[in-house]
Amino acid sequence: MEKKKTAAKKSKQELIVFLVVVALLIFFCAASPSFRQYTTILTIMDYSYYIVLMAIGVSFPLITGGVDLSIGTGLVCYSLAGGYLIMHHGWPTGAAMLVTILFGTAIGVLNGVLIGVMDLPPFLATLCTCMITRGLGSICSKNTGISWPTAGQPGCWFRSIFKLDVGGTKIPLGFIWVLLLAILMHYVLRHTKVGRYTISIGSNKEAAILSGINVKFYHIMAYTVSGLFAALASIAYSAVFKTVLPGTGAGFELEAIGGAIIGGVSATGGAGSIIGTFIGVFVICLLKTGLPFIGLQANWQQIVTGFVLIGSVMVDIIKKRKEKR
Amino acid sequence: MKKRVLATIMSATLVVSMLAGCGSAATTEAPAAEAAPATEAAADAAPAADTASGDKLSFKIVVKSFQSSYWQAAVQGVNQAADKLQVEVECNGPNAESDIADQVNMLTNYINGKPDGIGLAACDQSACLDALQMAKDAGIPVVCFDSGCPDAPEGSVLSTIATDNYGAGATAAENMYAALKDTIANASAPVRIGEVNQESTSESITQRGLGFIDKFAELAAADGKKVAVVGNEYYVNAAKDKGDEATADVIIEVAVPAQTTVELCATEASAIMNKSDVLGIFGSNQVAAEGILSADENLGKLGSKAGENILGVGFDAGSIIKAAVKDGKMFGAVTQSPLAMGRTTVETLYAITQGESVSDVATDGYWYDSTNMDSDDIAPNLYD
Repeated sequence: MEKKKTAAKKSKQELIVFLVVVALLIFFCAASPSFRQYTTILTIMDYSYYIVLMAIGVSFPLITGGVDLSIGTGLVCYSLAGGYLIMHHGWPTGAAMLVTILFGTAIGVLNGVLIGVMDLPPFLATLCTCMITRGLGSICSKNTGISWPTAGQPGCWFRSIFKLDVGGTKIPLGFIWVLLLAILMHYVLRHTKVGRYTISIGSNKEAAILSGINVKFYHIMAYTVSGLFAALASIAYSAVFKTVLPGTGAGFELEAIGGAIIGGVSATGGAGSIIGTFIGVFVICLLKTGLPFIGLQANWQQIVTGFVLIGSVMVDIIKKRKEKR
Repeated sequence: MKKRVLATIMSATLVVSMLAGCGSAATTEAPAAEAAPATEAAADAAPAADTASGDKLSFKIVVKSFQSSYWQAAVQGVNQAADKLQVEVECNGPNAESDIADQVNMLTNYINGKPDGIGLAACDQSACLDALQMAKDAGIPVVCFDSGCPDAPEGSVLSTIATDNYGAGATAAENMYAALKDTIANASAPVRIGEVNQESTSESITQRGLGFIDKFAELAAADGKKVAVVGNEYYVNAAKDKGDEATADVIIEVAVPAQTTVELCATEASAIMNKSDVLGIFGSNQVAAEGILSADENLGKLGSKAGENILGVGFDAGSIIKAAVKDGKMFGAVTQSPLAMGRTTVETLYAITQGESVSDVATDGYWYDSTNMDSDDIAPNLYD
């Protein structure tokens, strides 16, 4: 009975965020005629994949009560490393993608070890790996911008994973993949050991240790998932954008974390849903893509996004207070 | 305790494997350039410095970043001149062109090392002023290149070697206007011209942006059209005449992203290009121009037919812009000569150390499109 109640509450949060997405869509469509085009959907989709993937991953550390700040610069770093192998060493795209994924996963494991085993505070540990990956990315690419194969070049097939060109009409295929991944990870979080222990570490770490859960191992798992998804995001970013610039990436993680929190991941850990995260990211993406359409300057866009985040964290806090009563 | 040691070893192994994952990168040479071992003596340049004492002259060069291949080309020019004049140079720059504080820090550190001269491409016109005063007090000559520091303390910057950015922006406007002249003349409703600038703080970008705006406005006004400038406050206020949007025939809309990344430039560009009244769009550097091309991936509106397509005009080169200009996706672009700029910087610093008097050098911006990009006076300036 109790369980059903919380489940209902959670899906309610997801529903609210979904309604916010719909409301934003309606608002932008009404406010800007140039927004009402198929190409706008394509643009929103393009810009959402890498944030969605990062957000799915970072939800796991967030739910343990930690955070992963290294995913933004990590994304750029993995992409630069993979792209460099293609451009300057003639690697096939597939092999470079594999290196990208392994690289991201390795950084994830490193984060996990630093936090789970060596007890570094998550904020600090991932801030360090954030700096490391930022520098490492520049070194990997020898300080130049890198372009993964573009349309017409050999090895450009990977771009059609995300956007398929059928006789001139472009289909945002990537949406299906990120949706499937979101559903998969939603299941992992809810119904597997990895997921359930992730939640229990976040809601009460002491209790988790006392009940015999191998907290160290599941901590490492949570950050590994985050690293793996940062790497997948890296491939999505490389596929959507023409160039990847060294030195960038800092700040990407905030959009992903913001999306996860809007989607109902608790800022203090212990609760959250991946489907919620998935929908939450679209609030961020819609704001990011939509606000320039209504003529709002870049700085104002950031302010609006900041306030939306404050709003959703407040909802989370108020909810918790009510639960305590 | 044992576990802890194990964990330390594990993470150390990880770091090592991480580095190895970068392939040759771990052992890469820094972008800096050691002065090359003596090749044949430079003939046409001033007599080499090695006649005096045994020590080579040492110059430090601070670039804006290594984000675009533009800077790679500039560093190449620096190295060429250093080889020729047998001086030692070290090049460095911050991670991103928006890392202004990092650059100032780098510059200050170099000044403390008391080199024989400093070449500086400032990310921000005013952030380096204190450091320049320090350099002056320490008696270190500074040559600015690419971007000037117009408010620098008297006597600190001895020479500025830069593209006439205002003129180069105007060149872009002239070529775009020439192609759009008839379409604008025959338009029944107001038309829109877009401009994407990566930031509003450096001299080079702002001058380019304003050069484009002012020239386009001037040409349109000469044909009896009313022009308004809208969008980013800095550019609107700095434009010669911002006009009135309500009555304008030609609206120039300027967008600046919150950070200098391709994806944010692309977002801004697609917001402009989605409007139905857009005839042309100008991206004032490599990042902005690539942002416009990224945005067009979905929109498919760019092309070379005035009135039918949106005419995209870029700045600088790089493989992506070059390819887009070649196949007509991008109408044309303006390139500078970073190679010559880097070379001249070192040559000027050398001349200063030899007691020669130096002055500012303005290098040109060249228009290129699919018809002339292979010609002898353009092709060498188009770096990858």
